[in-house]
Amino acid sequence: MDDNKPNQTVIEAEVPMGTVHPAALEPYRVRLFVEDEIVRDAEITVGVNHRGVERIMEGLPVEKANSLTEKICGICSNSHIWNSCLVGEKALDIEVPERAQYIRIIMEELERLHSHCLYLAHGNEVLGHGTFSMRLFYIRETVMDLLGMIGGNRVQYGASILGGVRPRCELDDNRIQQLKDGMDLMEERLTAFADRFVSDPMIMSRITNVGVISQEDAIRLACTGPTLRATGVKKDLRTEMKEYEPFDFEVITQDGGDVKSQLLVRVFEIPESIKIIRQAIRDLPEGPITNRSWEMKDTPLTKSYIEVPRGTLYHSYALEDGRVRHCVIRTPSMANIGAMQHACIGHHITDAQLSIVQCDPCFTCTDRAIQIIKI
Amino acid sequence: MNITYSLIGVIGTLVVAFIVSLLLPGIERKFIHARIQQRVGPPITSPGIMAPIKFFFKQTISPNSPMPGLYNSLPLISLIVIMVLLVILIPEMYFLGAFASVIAIVGLLKVEEIMYMFMGSLSKSILSVRMPFPDMAKGAKHPETPRTFLEELSTLRAFRLIAFGSFPVYIALFVSVAVTGSIYLADIVAYQQQNGPILFTVAGALGAVVFFIGYMILLNEYPFAILKTKADVIEGPYLEYAAKYRSYVYLTRGFLMFVLATLFATLFLGIAPNILNPSFIITLVVALLFPMIMGVMSAFSPIFTYKQFYPTVAAVSILGVLAIVAAFL
Repeated sequence: MDDNKPNQTVIEAEVPMGTVHPAALEPYRVRLFVEDEIVRDAEITVGVNHRGVERIMEGLPVEKANSLTEKICGICSNSHIWNSCLVGEKALDIEVPERAQYIRIIMEELERLHSHCLYLAHGNEVLGHGTFSMRLFYIRETVMDLLGMIGGNRVQYGASILGGVRPRCELDDNRIQQLKDGMDLMEERLTAFADRFVSDPMIMSRITNVGVISQEDAIRLACTGPTLRATGVKKDLRTEMKEYEPFDFEVITQDGGDVKSQLLVRVFEIPESIKIIRQAIRDLPEGPITNRSWEMKDTPLTKSYIEVPRGTLYHSYALEDGRVRHCVIRTPSMANIGAMQHACIGHHITDAQLSIVQCDPCFTCTDRAIQIIKI
Repeated sequence: MNITYSLIGVIGTLVVAFIVSLLLPGIERKFIHARIQQRVGPPITSPGIMAPIKFFFKQTISPNSPMPGLYNSLPLISLIVIMVLLVILIPEMYFLGAFASVIAIVGLLKVEEIMYMFMGSLSKSILSVRMPFPDMAKGAKHPETPRTFLEELSTLRAFRLIAFGSFPVYIALFVSVAVTGSIYLADIVAYQQQNGPILFTVAGALGAVVFFIGYMILLNEYPFAILKTKADVIEGPYLEYAAKYRSYVYLTRGFLMFVLATLFATLFLGIAPNILNPSFIITLVVALLFPMIMGVMSAFSPIFTYKQFYPTVAAVSILGVLAIVAAFL
């Protein structure tokens, strides 16, 4: 069936929400087609935050373009700059020092920690549980401070550069000790939170069997990341990335495919990230953190996939005279939009926002391309 | 002398009630929600006093309503209804007979509830408007489906609240009637002054629990906030109130918090509100305690959907019926 053809079925009523709505963190529009407050169909439209980052990147020197990718997202900024650097390093055959690889992993896992905490906080906010939401923001502060300590900024740390990491992100003994203490504190607070969260009958009643995405639908709709893993599919790109080979961690899955499973996947992924960070600190190799002995050359289109907090992130570009050409970026939320729409169907309208939020959308990351359909 | 004394009692009670009610939302948010959530919270005067003052002097916009005049007057009507409710609770007004009875209270509370339906059905905010032509931007699913407004959704919910949701508070009102054998407030207060507060009987204790749940439902407080939930309808019936009309909305809610607590003190403790009576201090304590307990409960609860709301209301209503049965045993 051609997805662009209008569905002529007339449903009882349409409830439009957005593009600006207080329950949504970002501007996007949801059209809910409802019958007696039960959602029969849903449509999510993005495009309000279009900034044309890929277009701006075209023609920029690769170092500048890499820095610009960080501005795509305020939550997973490190993921973007890291993946963009990976594209450049792959294209230019740059050997990254092992110590820099470890620091990049630490930054990425710290980002995963704060992203998951933010997700859980927003989920609880949509649930109406302000106390848990505030608690999670409080827990997240530990990670934000650690990121600020390493990168110099609480967001947009600019850690990765072509050939390694910036000198300011070097980890000395004092920083390593702060990281260790931070992980201990984070683990203690999150364990206490997780125990209370899963034992709260009111919350469990609100999130169980709501916004269900079956495993078949998740695969059909090309879901990625924790959204896919919450349906029981054991797929984590980190297990295939050479950067993660030295580290031992579990791929967390849940079988329900509902909001509860989505939340719990993230809850249980947090200790795994802490485990990775502890291993990275313990085994941090000595040596330089930047390889500056590389030469610029023209390269064909090169691509890179990495696992970021929301799923698989894709970056690709070619290089010509040291400048970026044919840049394409695909964020995980783009892959999960279909699941967000699907998850709303058959559930109460009050749960629609929760069904969307459960897929951890970041539409601001996603909004870069415009698709023009000829009618 | 008696008339003067009565007038001072009625007006003084109204004034004190009004002043205290201005502080209640701030107390709930500053001392309960903010403390539990380990944040500073707003100044105590901010939600109840400063916000209404600020809104009172803002420019009024014309709502996108078929009857803007009526729509804008509804919060004021609600405020007047609640003030009348407080007035009939004052002992000096018990001469009104049937107007100072539990039946009159039920009627006035119902009028206050029906206001939400009017508000919702008269409001058609820009927030839920889509383009007046089929939206083909993304393939336009179901282009012929009629559009609706978020406030209409809240009207439907207000109807469900009237039909079902507010059962607990009305059942709880009749616990005192069952115990005392009279619908008149004068008799209910007199009975308790002779025999002690109903609250300390089995029927009264059960009725108090039921009343409190009903209090939270009538105030649309989490987790029972089905009329105005952040996840979908947000402000619900209040969506288009701006400037001084929004100010009336804030004042009405604070006043309703006080009046419902006063109603509890009258029906379950036998203490009618009168500023000239020293026992009025107990009314004030109840009026402070109710929002505080409500704040604690709402801070630790997610918003209910119908899936949780209906069973909770049904269970609490059954508890209320048991309280009435216990009153006859």
